[in-house]
Amino acid sequence: MEVFIEKENNVTTARFVGRLDTPASQEVSQSIEPILNDPTGTIVLDCKEMSYISSSGLRIFLTIRKAAAAKGGNVIVKDINNDIRQVFMMTGFLNLFEIQ
Amino acid sequence: MKRLLDQHAEQILQEYRDNLPEFEKQAHEIYQIFQETFERIGLIVAGLEYRVKKEDSLAGKLELKGAKYKSLADITDIIGVRVITYYSEDVDKVASAVDRLFVIDWENSVDKRKLLEIDTFGYMSLHYICSKKDFPFRFEVQMRTILQHAWANMNHDTGYKSGVEIPKHYMRSMNRLAGMLELIDEEFSHIRVELADYRRRVQALVASGNLDDAPLDGETYRSYLNLNPFRRLNKTIAAINQAEIQEVSLLPYLEVFKNLGFVTLGDIDRLIKNYSEAAFQLSSYQISLTDLDIISSSLGPQNLCIVYIIMNGGGTAGLRKLFDTLNGPNESNEMMAQYILDQASELPFMNEKKK
Repeated sequence: MEVFIEKENNVTTARFVGRLDTPASQEVSQSIEPILNDPTGTIVLDCKEMSYISSSGLRIFLTIRKAAAAKGGNVIVKDINNDIRQVFMMTGFLNLFEIQ
Repeated sequence: MKRLLDQHAEQILQEYRDNLPEFEKQAHEIYQIFQETFERIGLIVAGLEYRVKKEDSLAGKLELKGAKYKSLADITDIIGVRVITYYSEDVDKVASAVDRLFVIDWENSVDKRKLLEIDTFGYMSLHYICSKKDFPFRFEVQMRTILQHAWANMNHDTGYKSGVEIPKHYMRSMNRLAGMLELIDEEFSHIRVELADYRRRVQALVASGNLDDAPLDGETYRSYLNLNPFRRLNKTIAAINQAEIQEVSLLPYLEVFKNLGFVTLGDIDRLIKNYSEAAFQLSSYQISLTDLDIISSSLGPQNLCIVYIIMNGGGTAGLRKLFDTLNGPNESNEMMAQYILDQASELPFMNEKKK
């Protein structure tokens, strides 16, 4: 799993590529530190190239959501595939994020 | 602007310059005292601001009436703090707080609300001249409602102190507005009192279990959520995979319940009693063969709504509307609705329904 982070104006985009499973989560936790250090504005979690998410991945998304909420930021989850959408639904995460 | 100041005024001005850093420090401290106090007593104010008088403003004051002041200590508004409240009774609450926090110079404090005659309307504000132990200079605290503040600012901006004589019809209009705003202030207070009373009655209804008498609205629903009505179902679902439950706000479900045609808290209570087993079956089917070990506390109400819609013939259209409400309209909501409907057809509660 790779995470590419870009910031333009007030929008931070994190592009997730690959499987966000338990082994990948530890590395991803470090990759997203720049977002957690400055969770302001709009944060887009671009999942177009993410094929899978585990509970650990959901926890990472939740951490970003909490950090953003504390600083008045807004998190958008973008382009999740149907399998991931079902995981969000099965866990009650579907309405925790703005999903586009 | 160049001011024509006599030697006495210049001395006061120099005293001001010498003490300016201390004024700035004290002004900030006073501001913080207010901030901390409001937070402690849970008072939400519309505004809290402070300023240290600018040198030019002080020079202007000295130019006009410098002889009135023996020393800088006689000028009581070098530091000015303004508290703007939402409600008129909160002005009195702030005044009581000021009385507890500082020493009030009553002789020089003015309640402009009481100065107006019964048949006149105009500037309404409470001004206290105060002092604090560790600071030899007095300071001014102005307290007013947000509407009084708006009126005072408008009045100020449109001519007051400008030196131009104000036409009578304009004064009349401004004073008429002041009367109207006073009425609105009073009405806001009445609404607040009535709302507080409504909240208490709703809490009593919820506590007594008379949920059918509690209409479904934002107030009643909030009180109901305090009882954690979905906790048992969430715990049962979480037990499937020994999952942790992430607590989230369930307020978005108010709109969902209204869309389902629920009109009282009793309707939600019956939803929980009659559909929890089916909601559990759905979750069990979905997650028991996964390693998902985290759920949000909205899963219980979400699945209750899903099974309610399915069992009452809402079909994909009903489910899509549910997802549209919770997540915003999205093409994938149709797919999700169909997916869940297919899953549900395999579950015992659907077969029981057929019987």
